[in-house]
Amino acid sequence: MQEWANQLCENRQFGSKMTDSKYFTTTKKGEIFELKAELNSDKKEKKKEAVKKVIASMTVGKDVSALFPDVVNCMQTDNLELKKLVYLYLMNYAKSQPDMAIMAVNTFVKDCEDPNPLIRALAVRTMGCIRVDKITEYLCEPLRKCLKDEDPYVRKTAAVCVAKLHDINAQLVEDQGFLDTLKDLISDSNPMVVANAVAALSEIAESHPNSNLLDLNPQTINKLLTALNECTEWGQIFILDCLANYTPRDDRESQSICERVTPRLSHANSAVVLSAVKVLMKFMEMLPKDLDYYGTLLKKLAPPLVTLLSAEPELQYVALRNINLIVQRRPEILKHEMKVFFVKYNDPIYVKLEKLDIMIRLASQANIAQVLAELKEYATEVDVDFVRKAVRAIGRCAIKVEQSAERCVSTLLDLIQTKVNYVVQEAIVVIKDIFRKYPNKYESVIATLCENLDSLDEPEARAAMIWIVGEYAERIDNADELLESFLEGFHDESTQVQLQLLTAIVKLFLKKPTETQELVQQVLSLATQDSDNPDLRDRGYIYWRLLSTDPVAAKEVVLAEKPLISEETDLIEPTLLEELICHIGTLASVYHKPPSAFVEGSRGVQHKRLPGSAGSGESVESPDTGSAAGVSDAPPAVIPSQGDLLGDLLNLDLAPPATTTGPPPPTSSGMQMGAMDLLGGGLDSLMGDESEPPPIPLRTDTPQSPQLPHQSPSPPDYSPTELGGDLGGSPAMGAGFGAPPAAMPASFNAPVSGGLDDLFDLGGGVGMPSGAYSPPKSIWLPAMKAKGLEISGTFARRAGVVQMEMTLTNKAMSVMTDFAIQFNRNSFGLAPAGPLQVLTPVSPNQSIEVALPLNTVGPVMKMEPLNNLQVAVKNNIDVFYFSCQYPISMLFVEDGKMERQVFLATWKDIPNDNESQFQIKDCHLSSDAASSKLQGSNIFTIAKRTVDGQDMLYQSTKLTNGIWVLAELRVQAGNPNYTVSLKCRAPEVAQCVFQSYEAVLKN
Amino acid sequence: MISQIFILSSKGDHLIYKDFRGESGGDAVGVFYEKVTALTGDQPPVVMSHKGLHFVHVRQGGLYWVATTTADSSPFTIIEFLNRLSALVKDYCGSLSEKSVQMNFALIYELLDEAVDYGYIQTTSSDVLKNFIQTEAVSSRPFSLFDLSNVGLFGAETQQSKVAPSSAATRPIQSSREQGGKSEIFVDVIERMSVVIGSNGMLMKADVEGEIRVKCYLPNCSEMRIGLNEEFSIGKSQLRGYGAAVRVDEVSFHQMVRLDEFDSHRILRLCPSQGEQMVMQYQLSDDLPSAPPFRLFPTIERDSGGRLLMYLKLRCDLPPKSLSQELSSPDQSAELKPQSRAVVWKIPRFTGGMQLSALFKLEVPGLSSASLLEVGPVGLSFELPKLTATGLQIRFLRLSPVQPGPSQRWVRYVTHSDSYTIRI
Repeated sequence: MQEWANQLCENRQFGSKMTDSKYFTTTKKGEIFELKAELNSDKKEKKKEAVKKVIASMTVGKDVSALFPDVVNCMQTDNLELKKLVYLYLMNYAKSQPDMAIMAVNTFVKDCEDPNPLIRALAVRTMGCIRVDKITEYLCEPLRKCLKDEDPYVRKTAAVCVAKLHDINAQLVEDQGFLDTLKDLISDSNPMVVANAVAALSEIAESHPNSNLLDLNPQTINKLLTALNECTEWGQIFILDCLANYTPRDDRESQSICERVTPRLSHANSAVVLSAVKVLMKFMEMLPKDLDYYGTLLKKLAPPLVTLLSAEPELQYVALRNINLIVQRRPEILKHEMKVFFVKYNDPIYVKLEKLDIMIRLASQANIAQVLAELKEYATEVDVDFVRKAVRAIGRCAIKVEQSAERCVSTLLDLIQTKVNYVVQEAIVVIKDIFRKYPNKYESVIATLCENLDSLDEPEARAAMIWIVGEYAERIDNADELLESFLEGFHDESTQVQLQLLTAIVKLFLKKPTETQELVQQVLSLATQDSDNPDLRDRGYIYWRLLSTDPVAAKEVVLAEKPLISEETDLIEPTLLEELICHIGTLASVYHKPPSAFVEGSRGVQHKRLPGSAGSGESVESPDTGSAAGVSDAPPAVIPSQGDLLGDLLNLDLAPPATTTGPPPPTSSGMQMGAMDLLGGGLDSLMGDESEPPPIPLRTDTPQSPQLPHQSPSPPDYSPTELGGDLGGSPAMGAGFGAPPAAMPASFNAPVSGGLDDLFDLGGGVGMPSGAYSPPKSIWLPAMKAKGLEISGTFARRAGVVQMEMTLTNKAMSVMTDFAIQFNRNSFGLAPAGPLQVLTPVSPNQSIEVALPLNTVGPVMKMEPLNNLQVAVKNNIDVFYFSCQYPISMLFVEDGKMERQVFLATWKDIPNDNESQFQIKDCHLSSDAASSKLQGSNIFTIAKRTVDGQDMLYQSTKLTNGIWVLAELRVQAGNPNYTVSLKCRAPEVAQCVFQSYEAVLKN
Repeated sequence: MISQIFILSSKGDHLIYKDFRGESGGDAVGVFYEKVTALTGDQPPVVMSHKGLHFVHVRQGGLYWVATTTADSSPFTIIEFLNRLSALVKDYCGSLSEKSVQMNFALIYELLDEAVDYGYIQTTSSDVLKNFIQTEAVSSRPFSLFDLSNVGLFGAETQQSKVAPSSAATRPIQSSREQGGKSEIFVDVIERMSVVIGSNGMLMKADVEGEIRVKCYLPNCSEMRIGLNEEFSIGKSQLRGYGAAVRVDEVSFHQMVRLDEFDSHRILRLCPSQGEQMVMQYQLSDDLPSAPPFRLFPTIERDSGGRLLMYLKLRCDLPPKSLSQELSSPDQSAELKPQSRAVVWKIPRFTGGMQLSALFKLEVPGLSSASLLEVGPVGLSFELPKLTATGLQIRFLRLSPVQPGPSQRWVRYVTHSDSYTIRI
C-alpha cells in the first residue's frame, strides 16, 4: 500500500492530468476490462486494490456499474477490509441493478450468522441500505435475530435498520412486529442501543402522527433519563430531542426532569447543550414563576448560552439565531449578559448583524448607556452595511427605551456631524421614526437636519426628510422653498419620494394656505396629469377633491393626530415564537420559520406548542399534516394574485412582492375597509370615526432592523398603496391590494351565508327538546392571532348530540377556504364526529355559522382544567390553535336518572372525602323551578325532602364516560344562596359540575 | 438526520461522497459548490437550502466538509459532527489536506460508515472506532530533514531536543501501533483574548476563552492525570489557595474527564483516546488577573497640508522574560490597504517591556475635522507563546501505568488575540 501511495504522491507532484493518480484516472473502456480482470484475480491483495480503484471511480461520479457481478463475486471473503469495500460498492449500485442485488442476498444472510459481531452488524447495516424492495423479505429473519443479538453493537445497528426497512416497506415492518421489538429495546441495558431505538422510533412515529408509537409515560421517561447519563454525546442528543416531545403531567414532574437534564448544559458538545436548552425552555413553561427552582434554572441557562458564543463563527451564528428567539421569549435569562453580544471587529458581518439585533432586544434602561456607547463606535466602522444597521439600531433603542430617547437623539446628531453621507441618511430615517414615537419633543434638531438636505440621495432618506418638512412645516420658515426644490425633479424621483412630496406639500398648504397655493396646484397637476403611476394619481385626486370640496374636512383628515408607532414591531409573532422555541437548535430556529415552511412531505410538519403554564397541554398536531403548509397552498382561484400576496404577507415571510401589472380598477371603500382591518389600521378615521387605529404590524422575520413605517399615516395616507410601500418596500403591492373588489361580487356572499344560517336555525329548533343550557358565544380565537380568522363559539347539547357551534368570521382580505378542525386529546375524549362543514369559501368580512357534531370516542388525556379543549383549525392560510372550555353539562347524558335505592346505596358507598360543597349565590328560583331547569340539562331530581323549611333535592347525573355524579341541593325559602353537595367517585369533576349547576340555574 | 456527506476540495473536486438515506439526488454536490462559491461576504454561509435540501458545511484544512439534510435537523449537531469528522480524519491520516483525504478515501469511507448509520451519528470517539477500522492510513508526509532536528546531534542533549517541532503532532494515530512510533503526549493550553480598550485608555471589556487540548500517541495509557494550579477557582465567589487566584467564570469538560479529584486538588483524570481531543474549555470575562498585554497611545491630527497624521506608540506591558528569548531583528513593515481603508503595521517580534512608535502620514482627499472622528479603532492581532492570560498552568502531567520505554510529554501555552481593539 505504501508503494502505491508513494507512486500516487509522485504522480500528483508532476501534476499532469493523465497520470493524476492511480485511482482517479478516467475509466476508458480498456480500464473497465482491466479492472474486471483484476477483480477476478486469485490474489487477495490485487482484488482489494481493484475494488479500491472501483470505489475511487465511483466517488468522482464515474459509472462503474458494469462491474457489479465481478465486485459481488469478491464478497465471499474472510477479509473484513475487502468485505467492507464490496459492501460500500453494493450500497451505491444495488438500486440500479436490483436483479443482481438478489445475488448478494445469500451472503448477507450467511454473514448475519457469522460468529464475529462486526460481520453480523456490517451485514445487517448494509442490507438495510440496499434500497431494493425485493430484498426486504429476505431481510426480515436476519433482522429479527440481530435485534435480539447478544452483542450490543449488533443490536444498535439492527435498531437503525428497522427505520431503514420502514422507509422502504412500512407495512412489512408493522406486520412483522418489528415495532414492538424496537419498543422493547428502549429498556435495553446498553445506552447506545436505547439511543438508536429512540431515534428509529421517533422517525417512524413522524410518519404516523397519530400512532402512539413512542408512548412516553413517566416510566419510559425515567428509562430515557437513566440512559442519558451513560450514552455517547450523539445518543444524548436523540434522547433529549425525544424528551422535548414529552409533556409532563404536572409541575413536579416537570421540575424533576429539568433537574436531571440540567447537567447536560455543561457538555462540551454544543448540540447537546442546545437540545438540553430546548427541553428546559419547554418544561420551564410549566413551572410556577414564584418557585425558587424557576429562578435557579434561569440562572443556569445563561452561562451555556454565553459559552456558545466562543465557538467558531458558523456555530456562533446558529447560536445567535437561537438566542434571538430565547431572548424574545425570556429576556430575563440574558439580561445581565449584554456585554457578550458586543461586536468584535473580526466577527463576520452576519455574526455582527445578529449580535446587533440581540443587543437591541436586551436594551433596557439599566444598560442603555453602555449600548449606546457601543453603537456609536460601530457607526464609525468601515463596513457600510454594518454602519447603517448600527445607526438604525440607535433609533430602535430610542423607540424601545423611552428614557434613552434624548441620549439617542444627541448621539444621532453627533453622527450627522461626521457628514459621512450614508450615516447622515440613515440617521435622518431613524430620527423621523423618533418623531413618530415622541411627537413635539425633539423638533429643535430640525434645523440641523435641514442643513443636510442636499446630500441626501437615497429615496428612503429623501422621503423621510420630506415627511419631516411637511409634518413640521409651520416651524420651518423656508419649508415652501425646501419642498419646491424637490419639486423640480419630480418625475425623476422614486414613487416613494413622489408620494411623500405630494402629501408634504398638501400638509404645507393646509398649514400656510396663503403662500403656497401655487405650489400645491403644481404638485397636484404633476401627480394627476403628468404621472403614469396609478397610486400617485389616485392620491393626487383624493387630495384634490378633498381640498376643493371641503377644506375644513381636508384639514381634519390630513393633519389628524397620528398613532404612535410601537416599539415591539420587530418581535416575532407569539404563536410562531412558541413554535420556534419548541424547535430550538434545529434548522427552523436558524431560518426563523416553522418547519412546515421548508420541510417537504410529512416529516417534521407537526406543529409543536409550548405546554400551558397551568397544566398539561399536549402538543397539538396539525389536522392535516400533508397540506398544512399554508404558505405553499394554492390560493383561492377567485383572486389569485391577491391571495398570493396576502398569504405571503400573513406568513411574515415576505419577499418583495411581484409587481402587479396594469392599473388597478377603482377601489371601493368597502374593500379597503377589509384591508385596513386586517392590517390593523382602518379607514375609520377617514370616515370620521374617532377611534384610533392600532399601530401597523410589520413583518418580522428579517434579520435587519425593522423597517419602521417611514410614512406618516395621516388618514389619507392609509391608502392601500401606502401600506404596500411601508410593508414591502414596493408600491406595487398596493396595487395588488387594490385589485380585489372587481373580482369579488359582493352579492355572492350574502345569500349563501344567510341560507346557511337558516339551516342551522332550523336544526337548532328541531333538535332542542328542552331548554338545555348553552352558554353564549365567546371569542375563542381573536382575528389578530389567526391572520384574520376570528372564531367565536359555544357548545350545546341538542337531541343527545354534543355540538360545537362556531361563527367563523373572515377579517382578512383574502377568501378563506379548506377549513378543517382537530382536537387535541382531552379529558372526555371529545372528538369531531365528522369533518368541519364549511361548504363555501368565506369571503372577507363574511361570517359563517358552523355546527360541528362531536362524539366522545376520541383519545383521552386528562386536562387542566378538566374541561379544557385544545383545538387546531386549519384553513388555506395556516393552522391556528386555541383552547376553550366547554361546560361539562354538555356531557350529561339523557339516561342519567338513578334509581332511588341505587342512589342511596351509592351515596353511602362513596367515601365522605369525595364530597365537596359549593355555594350558589343570588339564585332566586324556587326548588321546583330549579329542579325543572336542571332537568333540562339532564340533571335529574330523584327525591325531594323538606326539613325545617329547607328543601333538599337529591339529584343524579351521568357523564358520557359513565361517571355518576350525585348531588344534594339545599334550597332555603327566602335565602338566595343555595348549597350544593356533590359526591362522585371521581372527585376531580366536582368543580366543573358545580360550575354547570351555577350556569344552568342562573340562565 | 444527515442525508449525505461529502468532502470537496477547494476547487470543487469530489473527494468523498456518501449518501446515507437515498433521499436526494447526486447533483447535490454540484448545487452546493455553485451556491457556496456564489456567496457574498454578508450572507451567512452556515445553512443554505435548495429545493428542500439543506446544506450545512464547515471548512477545515482547505476542504469543504458538507452535510445535507431534508428534515428539520439540528445544525449544531451537524456542524459539531463535521468538525469531529475532520478531526478524526486528521487523527487517522496524520494531516488534513486534499492529498491526504484522496489517498485515504477507503479509510474515510470506513470511518464514515461506522460514524454514521442511516443519517444517525453513532460515534466519533477514536477509542471506539479503532475497534472497527480495518484500513490502514497512508501517510502523505514526505521524508524531511526537519524531522531529524529534534534528534540531538551525536546523541547529545541539546537545547533543541527539549523543544518539539510544531509539526511533531501531525502524524496518524494508528501508525504508532504498528510502526513503533514514539510514545508522546501533547498538551496545549490555548487562550484567546478579546479586549476592548476605550479611547480614554480604560479597559472596557476583556474576555478570555481558553481550552486545554490533549493529543495522544500513547499506545497503552490507561489513565492520565493533569494537575492544574491549586489556586484555580470557578465563579465569582470561590477563592482558593494562598497565591494570587487563577479564576475563570465557566468551565466545561469533555465527557470522559473524571472530576473526582478536581474539587479537592484540581486534578483532571482521563483516559485519553488516541488522537486529539478537547479536555476542558473555560471562559473568563471582565476580570483579567493582570493588565492587558499591549497598550497604545495614539495621537491623531491634521497637519497644515491637510494630511492626516497618526502617531502611534505601542507598548508591551509584559515582564521582559516572558516572551521569546531571542529577539530577532525588528524588521517591521507597514502597508496601506485601500479597499479595507486600513493601515497595516506588522511587527514580527515584540519583547516584554518594549515600546515601539510609528508615524503615519496619510493623504486623504476632502479631509475635514469631522473625518477625524472616523479614524479608528485599532485592531491588534498577536500570538503570545508561553503565556496564559488567566494564569492557568499545568502543574504536572502523570501517566499511569508508567510508560515503558521513553515517553515524552509536551506542554505548550499560547495566547492568541481573538479581537483586541483599541478605540481612538
